[in-house]
Amino acid sequence: MNRYARKLAVVLSLALIVGVGCGKDNKNKSASKTNAPTKADIKVGAIFDLSGATADVGTPFSEGIRDYVEYKNSQGGVEGHKVALTFQDYGYKVPQAEQLYSQYVSQGAKVFMGWGTGDTEALRPKVNADMIPFMSASYAETLADPKVTPFNFFPGASYSQQMRIALQWISDQNKGKHIEVAVFHHDSAFGTSPLDDGKKYIADHKLNIGFKDYAMTAGATDFIAQIGQAKTQQAKYIIVQNVASPAAKLATNLASEKSTAQLMCLNWCADELFVKLAGPAAEKMIGVMPFAPPVEGTQGLDEINNFLKAKNTTAKDKGLHYVQGWYTMATMTQGIDNAIKANGDNPTGEQIKAGLEKISDFKTGVSDPISFSADYHAGLTSAPLYQVTGGAFKKISDPIKVTK
Amino acid sequence: MATATGVYHTTYGRDFALRHTRAEYARLALLGAFAVVLPFTLDKYWLSYVNLILLAAVAAVGLMILTGYTGLISLATAGFLGVGAYTTANITTRLHWPMPVGVLCGTVLAAAIGAVFGLPALRVKGLYLAISTFAAQAILNNRFRDWPWLVQGHFSIGAKTPAIGHHVMRSDFEWYWLLLVITGFVVWGGVNLFRTGFGRALIAIRDQDIAAEVIGVEVGRYKVMAFSIACGLAGFAGALQAHYRNVVTWERYDFDTSFLFVAMIIVGGLGSVSGAVYGAAFMTWVPAYITRVGQGIQQGSSGTPFIIRELPAIQLGLFGVVIVAFLLFEPRGLARLWQRAKDYFRIWPFRY
Repeated sequence: MNRYARKLAVVLSLALIVGVGCGKDNKNKSASKTNAPTKADIKVGAIFDLSGATADVGTPFSEGIRDYVEYKNSQGGVEGHKVALTFQDYGYKVPQAEQLYSQYVSQGAKVFMGWGTGDTEALRPKVNADMIPFMSASYAETLADPKVTPFNFFPGASYSQQMRIALQWISDQNKGKHIEVAVFHHDSAFGTSPLDDGKKYIADHKLNIGFKDYAMTAGATDFIAQIGQAKTQQAKYIIVQNVASPAAKLATNLASEKSTAQLMCLNWCADELFVKLAGPAAEKMIGVMPFAPPVEGTQGLDEINNFLKAKNTTAKDKGLHYVQGWYTMATMTQGIDNAIKANGDNPTGEQIKAGLEKISDFKTGVSDPISFSADYHAGLTSAPLYQVTGGAFKKISDPIKVTK
Repeated sequence: MATATGVYHTTYGRDFALRHTRAEYARLALLGAFAVVLPFTLDKYWLSYVNLILLAAVAAVGLMILTGYTGLISLATAGFLGVGAYTTANITTRLHWPMPVGVLCGTVLAAAIGAVFGLPALRVKGLYLAISTFAAQAILNNRFRDWPWLVQGHFSIGAKTPAIGHHVMRSDFEWYWLLLVITGFVVWGGVNLFRTGFGRALIAIRDQDIAAEVIGVEVGRYKVMAFSIACGLAGFAGALQAHYRNVVTWERYDFDTSFLFVAMIIVGGLGSVSGAVYGAAFMTWVPAYITRVGQGIQQGSSGTPFIIRELPAIQLGLFGVVIVAFLLFEPRGLARLWQRAKDYFRIWPFRY
């Protein structure tokens, strides 16, 4: 045993030495990068969910961001500055997100690409203190008010806004008849984000809608119990605020339970992945989709398709969330570009924030033009509706605009 | 404890001293010098991990007192970290009281709640007690999640970075000194606790509780007090961590974290306060190092989705292998390993 222990000690101390050595190497590498003869890199920190509860949509989204950075750098970067993206999977865990955010900011990240609602909301005080422009994939309305979160931005229509659109559409379809609506949501800050605003919208606009919410527990094998409750509620519509995989499971369960309720998905579950996973059960699902699927003939995808040609694939194959990630990064880059044009080579967080607020009518291939302003940090306010027919998304309504 | 020959204690003071030989004092001085030089040599990333190690060490020493010295197992350390964190976050953000008051309240509340959850220890031991602390963990974590007033209606609450006058203590470098002093005090207190009557009573309970009762130790009271101390220290660490990381979320206080602390004291070596510190360092550093290597692989690769997808699993697996290796080769932990290393050099070139 003594000999084993000694050997173990030797191995451990060697590992320690090697570890310290590696750490040094990394530092030197990044230092030499910043000293390169071209203009200084713009460091961008990012967290992606590649292994957690939302990894199904997080993975294509992350590829979109990474590919946009690669594309942008191949085009000469932002005003001659290379975009240096550092990222890490955080498994949809708030403590991990906080750790990585602190790490990247201390390593000099100028801006940050976030992901979920829980972590983005948790990071708000730090983001405000550090003055780091923060673009999230969470579209929670709590992040759109610059009076509270001056440095948070997101390019889509807020979850609350999507919920209002869905409720208004339901009310219009039924011409004021009383309708019961069941809302199935992810059991997290992401899932519960639009619930209160939805209830408030019904009350404020005197819609004749009954509204009940049901949590979809993470990792559940089925949602039969919740479907039973929704049946008791006599819900005619089921609105889902979740990601594609659990939503597809719900759709299959609904089919097997012979439910006649109309399924509606907000943006993170209305996608090709849902259609693929749910199969025939996906038919007739209606999606509130601020970002539409990049089907054949969609305008404005040339940039992406040209880039992907070298990789033998297309935007259509990569899917909606890939394109969404691409344009999320493009929006952030546009903000940095504006800031550099206005303030020179080394813009501060506040200047990039101003640069983002300057963005108006930023065209993407798959959504209405994105605009920010100094008093609203959500890029869109409207969203069209699509319906799955024959395994493909068909537009059934032009972008619907609602007011709070 | 190195026992060199020719060391005679001529006064009671010398007899009581923790260190008897010059070599031991020299080592202590080296350690002190190392602690002073360390923050100047590390980059921010690793320094933040050193701070996390110091924080974990505080809670691990608490758990060591409870599990390693009193023989009562607790699977609720994370819950009590949370009690401290949520208490101080609420006190400092809502009442705007200063951080030391918040941290103190967090510590006291965690100790009080810990005493309550320690009550089952009066009746049950071993695995049964483990399950009842498991329940405490479940209850606490569930409350962190589902009491909206605790987090002002959101899913998390912020805890302010402390400020001295107008200077905001944000950097890892400043925190290092604060945490070094605090952890130093906790370790010093922990080591000395077991040289007092109280500490010896705890050890007596661990070794044989009926015998302890026979010689006049109030077993029930001491058990509850041990719980109270352990949970209080966990609350203290949690409260400090809240102000250090600024974000208080229930996800930080789940079962995994509780198990991690149990693993810390086992890997460190049960029944040794310094083992708790080694364990905290090991269990914090190894995953961080594996993650760092993983990050390197991820950044370097542009089109290997498999590696990227499987990396978290590989990291966990490696971590597990390291722990298993430890339990195989040195079940008595890092503290024992260090002891062996010292003995080896002391008696070199002889084998024993």
